[in-house]
Amino acid sequence: MAITLEWSVKIPDRAIEEKYWLNLKKKVIDAGLCSHCSTCALICPVDGIISADREIDFPDWEEKCVDCSACVRVCPRYDYTPLCDIGEYIELTAARSKRFKGQDGAMATEFMASALEMGLIDRALFVGRDEEWRTNIYHIRSVDQLKDTRLTGTKYSFASVLPEIKKAMKTSKLGIGVVGTPCMVSGIRKLQSEFSLFREKIKLVCGLFCTENFYHHQLYEFLKEKGVDFSKLIKTDITKGKFIATMTDSVVSFPVKELNDIIPHGCEVCIDFTAVESDFSVGSVGSNVGYSTVVVRGEVAKDVLDFIRENNYADFGKVIPEVIEKLSNLKKKRKKNIPEEFRSRIQEEVKPEESKESKESREKESEKEKTEKPKEQEGTKEG
Amino acid sequence: MIKIKFPKLKTLDNVKLHLDALVVGAKEAIKPGTITIEYPRERRLLPDSFRGYVLFSPENCISCFQCSFVCPANAIGMKLAANNRYYPTIDYTKCIFCHFCVDSCPGAALRPTKVHDVVYKNMNEMITSTEEMVKPPKIVREDGYTVEYVIDGVKLILRRIKEKDNLIPEFKPHEKVKEYSACVMPESCLACGICVSSCPSEAINLSVKEKEKELKIDKERCTGCGICVKECPVQILSLVRE
Repeated sequence: MAITLEWSVKIPDRAIEEKYWLNLKKKVIDAGLCSHCSTCALICPVDGIISADREIDFPDWEEKCVDCSACVRVCPRYDYTPLCDIGEYIELTAARSKRFKGQDGAMATEFMASALEMGLIDRALFVGRDEEWRTNIYHIRSVDQLKDTRLTGTKYSFASVLPEIKKAMKTSKLGIGVVGTPCMVSGIRKLQSEFSLFREKIKLVCGLFCTENFYHHQLYEFLKEKGVDFSKLIKTDITKGKFIATMTDSVVSFPVKELNDIIPHGCEVCIDFTAVESDFSVGSVGSNVGYSTVVVRGEVAKDVLDFIRENNYADFGKVIPEVIEKLSNLKKKRKKNIPEEFRSRIQEEVKPEESKESKESREKESEKEKTEKPKEQEGTKEG
Repeated sequence: MIKIKFPKLKTLDNVKLHLDALVVGAKEAIKPGTITIEYPRERRLLPDSFRGYVLFSPENCISCFQCSFVCPANAIGMKLAANNRYYPTIDYTKCIFCHFCVDSCPGAALRPTKVHDVVYKNMNEMITSTEEMVKPPKIVREDGYTVEYVIDGVKLILRRIKEKDNLIPEFKPHEKVKEYSACVMPESCLACGICVSSCPSEAINLSVKEKEKELKIDKERCTGCGICVKECPVQILSLVRE
């Protein structure tokens, strides 16, 4: 441990000569770039930045903000480098957990449970829901907690997972596992690059395939109008361009395009479908029904996968990478929404064998199934 | 359940014990005051480390809250004083006289006294404010003698000294290992300046340069109170021993 009495901290440039929070508000939130990843809310030293079911805000910034620049430093969209495609990976596979029930193959749960068993992490942050499908964060400490299947499944609503990391940091001794959308993964990575403290403690980051996410109140109103009874709702899913809400006695289904009006701005400028920066990402796209596609990127995640194989915790299946590519390309079309200054930073994978025509035709095809599963999050109630 | 049986004594021992008791009784009848103290006209000599009423000197207090944190009975409250500093108050309805507060005080602002017999008329009076803690409490002293118990072998002797005991002993604070605050993970610093504003002795300095913020801890000024360590939102400060 290096002990020092004198140290310096580099501070970023200001876009406007105001407090850094106003810089963030102007350049990210008001510009419609904010992805609601809540990294700023996590780092804010005065806990002033609020991440709730609305735009990120700092209501009493005038008196509370200490102008430390941390929020600007950790924001993945302030100095936005859009990522896309599948990225580099060690292994691409499809699997189905034998132990857990989730949205598809419950592999996000399985990975975290295995990591807990391996002693790699001692806290995993999961998203649960209440009766009205509002998201709650649960700190999972044992595999048994994850066996509670009552609250598993995708929520399609923003969850303030990242601010909970602060609490988990204080109690965790071994490490923390986090499950999140691509923007949350980017936020964590930016945070880790800026503050070494988080590099050591956040050990396993699971990214979820995501096309968009919604504000809970907007999705709630929308689904209610569609006749969804939340007290009976057991599962929401987006498959083959349709949003399907399964209730105990009936099923409500409609084209996912109808949701376009309530897609938050932050998602419109996101082209990362597979959470490129995660240790491993999980999604339903690209594998058979009941299986999750798993993209293993980091060595740590690879160890966990080997552990799962060794203990025979999951069945493995076939992956169709083309389908993932198709959806990832579909999301990439949103790059037109990205402001010019950031658009030039996009590093696309060059595929020389693809002609323009085939690309176009493929895009038309994929337009039909506008969105697949954007998000999978399993969570359980503690105790 | 354990039943304690009366010890079976030999007749000879029994007689001896009875005789001893009679002798003590006879002595007390002839010359009273050989086994008991006539409180309040006499006071027992108490050691200087006696844990009684706690005195407070504001000039030594650095408002570190240690006393209120450590108090196992939750008797110590911190009240905002006129000079914008927080000072302790003791609720003697709760105090168990463990003197953890005195031991934990880094600046020796809390001192022990031998006063143990303060009279209160109601419960509210027992919540002692900071101002009341500065001076020793008013007690009526009727004692002229100080009595000391001396145990000589098996015999108990009372020794009377014709002097009033000083109830407020000179307090020598234990020598503390000097500690100071230091940063253990400078690369994780948010440069938020919360440590600077929390420091009661103005030992931390933050200067803003064009491209960076510089933080400096003045080791000499630092009292090692640990407020900054507690306040740091990313927990990168730590107390280091000299």
